Amino acid sequence: MSSTNRSATGGRANSASTGAELLKITGLKKAFAGVPALRGVDLDIRAGEIHGLLGANGCGKSTLIKILAGFYFGDDGEISINGVEHKLPLGPRGLSDSGIAFVHQDLGLVPSLTVLEHMALDSNGTKPGFSRISWKKERSRVEELLNRFDLDLDPDAKIDTLSPVQKAMVAIVRAVGHPGLTDGKAGPLLVLDEPTVFLPRDEINALFSLLRKLKAQGDSVLLVSHDLDEVLEITDRVTVFRDGSLVGTRNTAECTRQDVVEMILGARDVQGKRQEAKVRTDIEPRLAARDVDGERVRGLSIDLRAGEVVGVTGLAGSGFEELPELLFGARPWRAGTLTVNGKDVKSPTPKEMMSNKVVLVPSDRKADGGAQELTVLENLSLPFFSNFARGWSIRWNVLRERAENVSQTFNVTPKNVDLELGKLSGGNQQKALLGKWLQTKPAVMLLNEPTQGVDVGARREIFKLLREAVTEDMAILCATSDYEQLVELADRVLILADGEVREELRGSEITKESMAEAIYSQGAK
Amino acid sequence: MTSVTTKQAGTQGTKRAKGIRDPERFVLLGVWVVLIVFFVIAVPNTFPTAANLSSMLGSQAVLLILTLGLIIPLRAGDYDLSVASVFSLSAVTVASLNVNLGVPVGWAALIAVVLGFGVGALNGWIVTRFGIDPFIVTLGVGTVVLGLAYPVSNSRTISGVDPTLSDIMLTKPFLGIPLDFYYAVILCAIVAYVFSKTAFGQRLLFIGQNASVARLNGVPVSRLRRFALICSATIAAVAGVVYVGTTGSSDAGSGAGFLLPAFAAAFLGSTTLSVGRFNPWGTLIAVYFLVTGISGLQLMGAQQYVQELFYGGVLVIAVILSKIVRARSDKRRLAQLK
Repeated sequence: MSSTNRSATGGRANSASTGAELLKITGLKKAFAGVPALRGVDLDIRAGEIHGLLGANGCGKSTLIKILAGFYFGDDGEISINGVEHKLPLGPRGLSDSGIAFVHQDLGLVPSLTVLEHMALDSNGTKPGFSRISWKKERSRVEELLNRFDLDLDPDAKIDTLSPVQKAMVAIVRAVGHPGLTDGKAGPLLVLDEPTVFLPRDEINALFSLLRKLKAQGDSVLLVSHDLDEVLEITDRVTVFRDGSLVGTRNTAECTRQDVVEMILGARDVQGKRQEAKVRTDIEPRLAARDVDGERVRGLSIDLRAGEVVGVTGLAGSGFEELPELLFGARPWRAGTLTVNGKDVKSPTPKEMMSNKVVLVPSDRKADGGAQELTVLENLSLPFFSNFARGWSIRWNVLRERAENVSQTFNVTPKNVDLELGKLSGGNQQKALLGKWLQTKPAVMLLNEPTQGVDVGARREIFKLLREAVTEDMAILCATSDYEQLVELADRVLILADGEVREELRGSEITKESMAEAIYSQGAK
Repeated sequence: MTSVTTKQAGTQGTKRAKGIRDPERFVLLGVWVVLIVFFVIAVPNTFPTAANLSSMLGSQAVLLILTLGLIIPLRAGDYDLSVASVFSLSAVTVASLNVNLGVPVGWAALIAVVLGFGVGALNGWIVTRFGIDPFIVTLGVGTVVLGLAYPVSNSRTISGVDPTLSDIMLTKPFLGIPLDFYYAVILCAIVAYVFSKTAFGQRLLFIGQNASVARLNGVPVSRLRRFALICSATIAAVAGVVYVGTTGSSDAGSGAGFLLPAFAAAFLGSTTLSVGRFNPWGTLIAVYFLVTGISGLQLMGAQQYVQELFYGGVLVIAVILSKIVRARSDKRRLAQLK
């Protein structure tokens, strides 16, 4: 956790302008409902550099960007731009008015509007609503901007007629060309939050040449990414976060891939012995899917057998994150066949999968896992209202007993089932939602990022619960980008790329390094 | 107030009430009591009389029935703006069939209610089949339904409906209170039971709070939303029948004045008893809170238009109040946790 060299003089091919500190962040902290997401991180970005920010999921890099953009308030820390301190909290526009332009992963473009309309919105956004838009002036501004970056784009093209990389470039040019940025204030600094996730490999170079042009102008870029190869290719310096803390900042030219992988993963040993389950190859697979097509998944086949935990992972956008919902029938199922316990399921729906004892714990607890404003009791009872009813009357006393039992068994604190679910910490919510299903002894459990936003203690408890559960002839599918979790949990790991299984690791082959190698080397292929 | 806590509505059969949880839940009740005391002092000769009490309780039964239907789709997060039009269509159908065509009043009432069911089914089908916001669907369908009510009534007030209907509703009071009040209270009890004790009611609650969670837990979201819209329209039709019973006549404009009060009562009701949730007993309190205010003011000599001021004002205030009340109790509970 040593913050390193700020003495180093630029990376490769750096212009002389490098050196002046543009953005400086010191000791930035942020916690959500008591769970720390940032534990006091430092970051400095110099004028005229491309700076990479790397780290595994949940390391805090998105939280940092969201604080700078004004989505979250920071709890503590110092932020200064060109030596001018900006007090926390930053307010709803974050640093957007201080020379920092943000492009988020979803790009923030409206498909049915044109390039010109997007940019006109920016230059008129601060004026009173009824001032006349001068379309002629707007058009020449936009054309000048597109020319400056050699982009061959029609200002009247609607966004949904553009290719993915063109969309990304429009978003970038729009951000750096925002009239609010060029008001003589310093910068600008362009913050790109995972811009390449949804881009085809061969088009990324077009994006990179745009970034290099920005750099040549003296602008700075902060590139947030998962992808090691991209970051190594284009950045001057790279900063790595892990578990909400700074691991270090290095000159990219002086690092090898291996160095960066180690920084991302850390060298911690896996602790604790896990309970070994016997994989039941003597009976039919609990769940067998063949040639499944979904939104990203293509022609995927998978068997989940009683007694095993199968991990699926890959880069964001590779399709692994879609798999649990897809197999549960909660996402569009384009092609493929599915059998559960040897029984064919024609067109899977959540209801039908549940009646076959297949259950899902979705990744986004707030949006899909539980109703935050309803009580723990109500949330834990949702699937069982009809199971525990006398005539039409719900037997609340039975449901209450069951909920309290889950609360006890799975150590959900505070142990008050009348509390709203949203008042519990992430870890306790997750234990409650897992417990809800585990007490029904399902045949298959589909998990999506089961320990996202969960503190270390609860995480260990959850792993233990899951390993115990598979010994009782259950099959678990766990989709996650958290490698350490798979090392502790999985018997098999499938690595997905472009919607297909690229590699399968078993038993002792499952290490953080082997997974990182398999995932990050895909780009080279 | 402690005695009230043992009978908490809406906390799903919780029998472990300890002290007063969330005093905010009883604010409306308190304000109501204050209002009553104020009018008793201000207009002692006319307000606290048996006649006034009977008239207040009886006259609002129609609104209460209508609102009880409305909170069913509201619980699932869906607005039904067609209830007032269905109410009108039902009222003119009963009167027209009975008076103009000589259909026995019982049959006329049944046909009116079936029509309401049909409108609800149409609303529900459009909303779930095409995935359109019920707000706009019920606004459009409601306007069409209102359009139909005019030809049915020949754009005239139809009076002279078979007095048997009035007898059942109004003219033969029990304990000095018209019978329609008791019907409304019975419906209130039924809705309360459905909301807190049946799977249907609980699933509606989840759909309203987070439809994605409901769907991923196997709840047939579309079917239940459809059914909720059928309930509201059917009950609105029943309210129309009751209305004809209390007035003996009807015209196509009968329901127009009920839409806003129904929403005002539904939202005001959601600020009390179980905060943030549409609940039938809260609705009952809200309806009678509103009528207390209005008849009190009118007895003090206010003009007819205070109704509009009062209902409109209360709707806006109720929505603001529910936000504040909710935020407050959230804050306190969080503080208790720490």
